[in-house]
Amino acid sequence: MDAAVTSHAELAETLRRRVLDGPGETPAALRQMAAKAATGGAADGPAGTLARQIGQASYAVSDAEVAAVRTQTGSERAAFEIVAAAAMGAGLLRWQQGLAAIEEAGDAAP
Amino acid sequence: MRLPEIDRGDSLGNRLLIGFISRVSGMRLPDAARVAFYHKAFFSAPMGAWTQRTMRGDSEWSVGERELMAALVAKWNSCPFCVGAHGAIAARILPRATVDAALADFEAADLSPKLKATLIFLEKLTLRPDQVTAADARAVYGSGVSRAALTDGVAVASVFAIITRYANALDFAMPTPAEFDKAGAMLLKRGYA
Repeated sequence: MDAAVTSHAELAETLRRRVLDGPGETPAALRQMAAKAATGGAADGPAGTLARQIGQASYAVSDAEVAAVRTQTGSERAAFEIVAAAAMGAGLLRWQQGLAAIEEAGDAAP
Repeated sequence: MRLPEIDRGDSLGNRLLIGFISRVSGMRLPDAARVAFYHKAFFSAPMGAWTQRTMRGDSEWSVGERELMAALVAKWNSCPFCVGAHGAIAARILPRATVDAALADFEAADLSPKLKATLIFLEKLTLRPDQVTAADARAVYGSGVSRAALTDGVAVASVFAIITRYANALDFAMPTPAEFDKAGAMLLKRGYA
């Protein structure tokens, strides 16, 4: 793995671990569900519905969807954790898919 | 902003800081910066570190080229706030006409063949990530882009896949073009972390 990949990969992994496994207002399992729902995984309850929308078409997220997650999780801070987990899930999918294509292309680079 | 606590700040120190920066700069602190102060240890600190590395760290791409990539990812993700913010930063480095032409149709714009080839890859990665293949990477290499440069471009698309989604989900307020330009000058000077 070259230096560019290593430095991005380490920072991406630090972000992933903090958001999905670290302490928070919400249970880690709920954040992990949100990250998966944003990339086509099972979407449970209001948090899953919001996460799926964030993954597929974030511009179409509604006030009601965010308010429902605020009610489900009990605080704005907790609702923010779901928004962050979902957005990050969609972003890390792209990081992994892009990197996989680069690695599969092997030494074709100039 | 759909979560008012982010707008206000989540501690007395952050509320004072948001008020102070707004007064000194003569404009409302943009919502992107308010998120950067919010629940910092959970998200903004690790996110800021990767964003800073991606947008300001060592790369074969200039800062202006990376900001243009970010603005285009924002366009593909229908995020007007991020188009405005990162288009304004790009236009502080590249000619405004070039930025506007790229946002309208990057393949027809006056950009280097390397940048155009990379943007084709990043558009597919943004909109159809499951369809990106090694052949797409080889096509970029064919224009002379190195593996490290393509990796850096993938990082821009990935970081802005995240930023555009929370900007839209939280419904960031839209600054005026003059405010975007002023905020862009601050981001160029201070960075993302």
